[in-house]
This record gives sequence, C-alpha cells and structure tokens, in this order.
Amino acid sequence: MNQEWQKAMLEYINKTMHFQGMADLLFCSHYPFSAQAKEYVTQKGLQLSTEIIEKAEKRVADAIVLGKIRKVAQLPEAQEEELAIYAASRMIVSACANRYIMNRYCIAEAKRAGEYLASDSSAHPEYIGQVASEFGIKFESTKEGVLVPVVDYLVFSPRSYDYKLSNRRLKAGKVLISSHEKIRILEEAIRKRMESSLPVKAQFPQEVAEAARRIVKLMPKIEISATKVDQKNYPPCIKKLLEDLALNINVPHTGRVALAIYLSSIGMKPEQIIDIFRSAPDFSEKVTRYQVEYISSKKYAMPSCSTMDGYGLCVAECGCGNPLRYKDEIHGARLRRLEKRD
Amino acid sequence: MLAQQQTPEEKYVKDAFMSYYKNRSFSVPEVHQREFGFGGWERKIEFRHIKIGTNQELSAKLAVEAPFYISYSVSYYQFPDARPMPKKAWLGADLVFDLDAKTHECGKFTCERCLQEVKREALRLIEDFLVADFGLSKKEMVVNFSGSRGYHVHVISNEVKRLDREARREIADYVAGVGVSFERLFWKEGKKLFGPNFSSGGYGEKFAKAFCSKLNEDAFALFFSRKLKLNEEKERLIGYIQKGEWGGVGVVGFERKLEEKFKQMLPELSVNIDANVTADITKLIRMPESLHGGSGLAAKKVSQLDSFDPLKDAVVFRGGEAKIRMSETVPAFQLDDQTFGPFEAGETALLPQSAAIFLLCKKAAVLA
Ligand code: SF4
Ligand SMILES: [Zn+2]
Repeated sequence: MNQEWQKAMLEYINKTMHFQGMADLLFCSHYPFSAQAKEYVTQKGLQLSTEIIEKAEKRVADAIVLGKIRKVAQLPEAQEEELAIYAASRMIVSACANRYIMNRYCIAEAKRAGEYLASDSSAHPEYIGQVASEFGIKFESTKEGVLVPVVDYLVFSPRSYDYKLSNRRLKAGKVLISSHEKIRILEEAIRKRMESSLPVKAQFPQEVAEAARRIVKLMPKIEISATKVDQKNYPPCIKKLLEDLALNINVPHTGRVALAIYLSSIGMKPEQIIDIFRSAPDFSEKVTRYQVEYISSKKYAMPSCSTMDGYGLCVAECGCGNPLRYKDEIHGARLRRLEKRD
Repeated sequence: MLAQQQTPEEKYVKDAFMSYYKNRSFSVPEVHQREFGFGGWERKIEFRHIKIGTNQELSAKLAVEAPFYISYSVSYYQFPDARPMPKKAWLGADLVFDLDAKTHECGKFTCERCLQEVKREALRLIEDFLVADFGLSKKEMVVNFSGSRGYHVHVISNEVKRLDREARREIADYVAGVGVSFERLFWKEGKKLFGPNFSSGGYGEKFAKAFCSKLNEDAFALFFSRKLKLNEEKERLIGYIQKGEWGGVGVVGFERKLEEKFKQMLPELSVNIDANVTADITKLIRMPESLHGGSGLAAKKVSQLDSFDPLKDAVVFRGGEAKIRMSETVPAFQLDDQTFGPFEAGETALLPQSAAIFLLCKKAAVLA
C-alpha cells in the first residue's frame, strides 16, 4: 500500500515544482501548500501510514464540521508528520469528489494558514514575505501602513464591503492597507490556490477512499427551503443562484447580494433567506445574518437585468428589464419558444 | 438568409464605405483570439461569434464586405467562434472604458458642446484616474473616438488582462464613484473630525483638493461659516486640512454641512462611464479605425486627445457632393469646419459628401 501511495503523491507533487535550497521545516509545516513544502515532501519521500490517514481524516472532518483546522505542536517530528497529513488530507478531500467539501476544506486550510501568518508576523516576520512571494505579491511597508499593487488587491482581497475599492486610498497603482488586511489578502490567495489545485487526480489507496466515504456522511443535511416555495415565477438568474447554492458551488458576493435582495423583495423573511445560504461552503451564521438583515432593512432596489448581466449573473435574455418583473407566462414562455427554435 | 432589397441610401453609403475599406490594412492586437461582430444598415450587431485568423484576413474581409458596423470582443478566447460563451475558453480581456455624451437636446445630432464635454471627461479619466490612481502608463492605452457620441479607452496590458468580472466591476465603480461613502473617508477621534489630506490618494484626496479650491468661491465658503470670508481663516482651515484635521477650525455644524457638500460634489469628482461596458467581459466594442454606420464618421484612434476634434478629424468622406431631402427637422450641425442647416422636413439640399452621409446614416434624410 505504501508504494501505491507514494506513487500517487509524487505524481501530484511533481506538477508544480521550482525550488532550490534548504527547506525550513517549521515554515513548511505552517504553510504546507508552499513550493518549499512540496519540495521537502518530495526529497524526503514521506511515508503514508494508517496512522497518517487517520489523522488526515480528523483534519478534514474538523474542516467540514467545525470550519477550522487545529494547529499542532512545534516538535520537529510533528512538523514533518504534519506535511504528510496535509498531503493525505488533500487526497481524502479529492476522493470525496464533492464541491462543498472541497471548498469548505480550502477555507479551513486558508484560515489555519492565516492564524500562522498572524503569529509569525512577530515570531518569524520573514515567513510573511516568503508566503507573499509564493503568489507574486509585492507588499511594501510604509510608515502609514502596507502598500499593495492594485491588481493584486483586486484579485485577492475578500469580496466584502470593507474592501470596496471606492473607499480605499489608491494612488499610483497601490492601495494602502493595514497589516491585518495584508494577512486577510494572503489568506484569500491561499484559498484560491488551494481551490484551483484540487482535486488531486490520482488513484487513491483503499484506506483513503474509505475515509472519504465517512467524510461525505458528515455533510450537513440542508433543506433548501426555497425549493419548497413556488419557484415558477423565479427568473432564470435567480433559479441559477439557488441551484448553485444547493449544489454547494461558491456563489460570488455580488450573486449573494442580488439573491438576498430578490428574496427579500418578494417578501421572504430574513430567517428563511439565511437558511438558503446555509449550504454555502463558507457559510457563517453571524456574517450572513448581519448581511441579510441589513439588506432586508435597507429595502435595496433589485439590480436591473443589464446590471445583473454586467455582474455575469444574467443567464438568459428574458426581456423583462428587471428580474422582479419576470413572469413565467410571458417571459418564460418566450424563452421556451426561443429554445425550441434554436 | 434572404438578401433584403437595398434602399438607394443604403447602397450609396455602402459604396462610400467600400471605398474606405478598399486597400486599407488594419491591425488588431491578437486578432485571432477575438470574437468579431458585424452590423448592417438596420442593426449594429447582426452576426457575432466570428473568428478571424489574421489581420490580412480581416483587412481583406472588410474590403469585400464593408460592413456598417465592426466590433470585436474586449476578451481574448481560445475559441472565439465557439458557442455558447463558456466554450470559447476565456484567456483574458482588455480593460475598457466607454464614455458617452450625456443626453442633451441635440439628441442624435451630437453637438460640439456635448463632444467637448465628453472629451474633458475622457481626459479626466485618463489623467486623474488611470494614470494618477491606477498607475497605468499611457503607452498601455489606446484611445479612440467612438464614431458617434463619445470615446473608448482600451487598456491593453498583461497586468489587467487577468482581472475577472468582479475586479472589473470594482474598477468601474471606483471610476464612477459608486459606493464612495463619507463615513469611510472621515472619522472622529473624540469630538474632533479627521479626514483625508492632499496626499491620501483615492476619493479622499480628490475631495480634499476640490474642497480647498472651492473655498475661493464666496458662496461656498459662506455656506460653512461667515468667518470663512476672511482670507486668513480660509488659509487656517486649509492648513488644518493639509494635516487631515478637518475639525481644526471650530465651525458650528461643520460635519453635517461637509457631508452635504460631499454628496453634491461627488459627481464632479468621478467620471461618468458606462460601468457595464467595463465590467462585462462578453461585450463587443467598436473596432478602432472602423466606420460607424450611424454617422459615417471613423472611430479614429487619438494620439493627442486635447487637440482632437471629432467633427473634423473623424471625417473621412470628402468626395464631391450629394443632393438629399430631409425626412425630419434637422438642427444646425457642424462638420469639417462648416455649419449646415437647420433644415425643415422635406427640404432638399446639396451637401458635401460627408454631411450627406452623416444625415443618411442618421436616417434623417433620403437621396433626392
Ligand atoms: S434577463 Fe433579467 S431576469 Fe432574465 S436571467 Fe437575465 S437578469 Fe435574470
Ligand atoms: Zn448636445
């Protein structure tokens, strides 16, 4: 079994490698997604064991159930083991072949790394720069704060109102951020990297597959209450958003806001709306409640179809002008006619 | 598809367009990765999802077909002709800004004043936003007249190419001033109001500068306080603002008044762009140097924007005259340093080719 595992492991490690020099085991254990960590794993030819797979299953289970991964002791053996556990975790997650699990796992891994970034900021400040260079982000420290190139800022900043570019100090291609925001941006970069590197494509050993089966059972059972509501008059864009949520596909911030506005405009109560968002991999009760209640109380206007289109949320040409004006008898019927003609 | 009967007007304009496209070579960056769209006399985009392999092929096609509208995708695709959209395999996109003259009584006969105004907006977009804020270089920009009522700015660089829709929406919102909030730019420490200074960057800096220069207007200064009529008091306030201490000069109700002015001034600080064009990576945009079928003017590339005069520099047809009859009331308009009209509906006139084509394209006249 060991051989089988090693082959699988080497296969995916070899895909993304360019590193020379001595590995820093502590760094690697904190940031196991880094090129340096991968290099270390390759050189050492780390072994998989039943024990490692068990620990990996625990790591993934924590990510799915608790939404976070626990940090480990600092002993060198533990650090090395941590790398093997990480690699095995990725295999288990891949073997689950489930988007919700994959996304939720990536979020938890990114959070874990974020915690290390925060503590390393004082203990090993050089680590922060090393992680940043993984993503090619050039931060600059100034006495007012940290400067980040605007393109990196746009690519990696969390999509939340706090990061709205319109209110940021942008000058000469750089955005001024705080050191806390710098870590959040790196966390987001890590999440994106992890998401795009999964699933690992390989033959998994039996034990990994079994662990995966148990993990899938841990998924929260969610009833999509929206599916119970009469959906006939929902426009295609809203149906698509609901489906994506139900399929645990990560819906972008703009999509969530549009959906929340739509549902609250048709009279759905905040409590029901929150339930719908429960199936999002990065669901946080606190944040969602705050946002949904805010949207409901503000009575935001539903974005028009052309605005929806600009956000990439429009999926059909209904000709209704605004999703709220969509009527199945009129626009839906027209769409179905058009489809037939195609 | 059945070829529809061409009207004499359509044929006349088509022949003129033919003469423009004949023997002209075009050079579209990464032409083979763009989706093209072509429009006819009646519709701006009749065909899209078209792939063109090389610039030679493009130039040859245009020489033969001389379409009334030619546009291409701001995006680069691996398979530009694949459908539906996701099958095209997106590779990136230029960052594009579309500025149009505001609606004005001149309507479809865009007047000089409107064109002046939109040019000023374009200059502000380039200088104050793209260069000053986003740190882009003018070398990465292609600016062209839209052929009708405005300008397009294309930023072509590897850096911006990879930006997704949401990132582009953030840029569009920034330029258009969407989401700029007083509470985020100003804050309180104790009772004292703090805010941006002249080097803060972003809208804070724009507002601080505009505010201080507006203090020279008496009405503006008096709105805040009578004592700001005095020059020393103005100077004192400006001195504080330079340090970001907006509450430095004790003025009753200052914060509330400031917020009011802030909201009023925001539209002047931002640029009126069509944000959807910037955010929508599936958009097709007029090909620079092509002709606009609704005006007969060229979507000219512009190297010196401040001295560019679209009503002269974008005129291409200077071959003789044509006699036309107005099918509606036409206000006086300018073209090539000459003023024409106003004309009543039914009136006939012998006009230089450019002016005749201008009115035929606007469907405001027929051949007489
Ligand atoms: S046209 Fe409007 S209602 Fe229809 S899918 Fe697009 S955004 Fe939704
Ligand atoms: Zn006008």
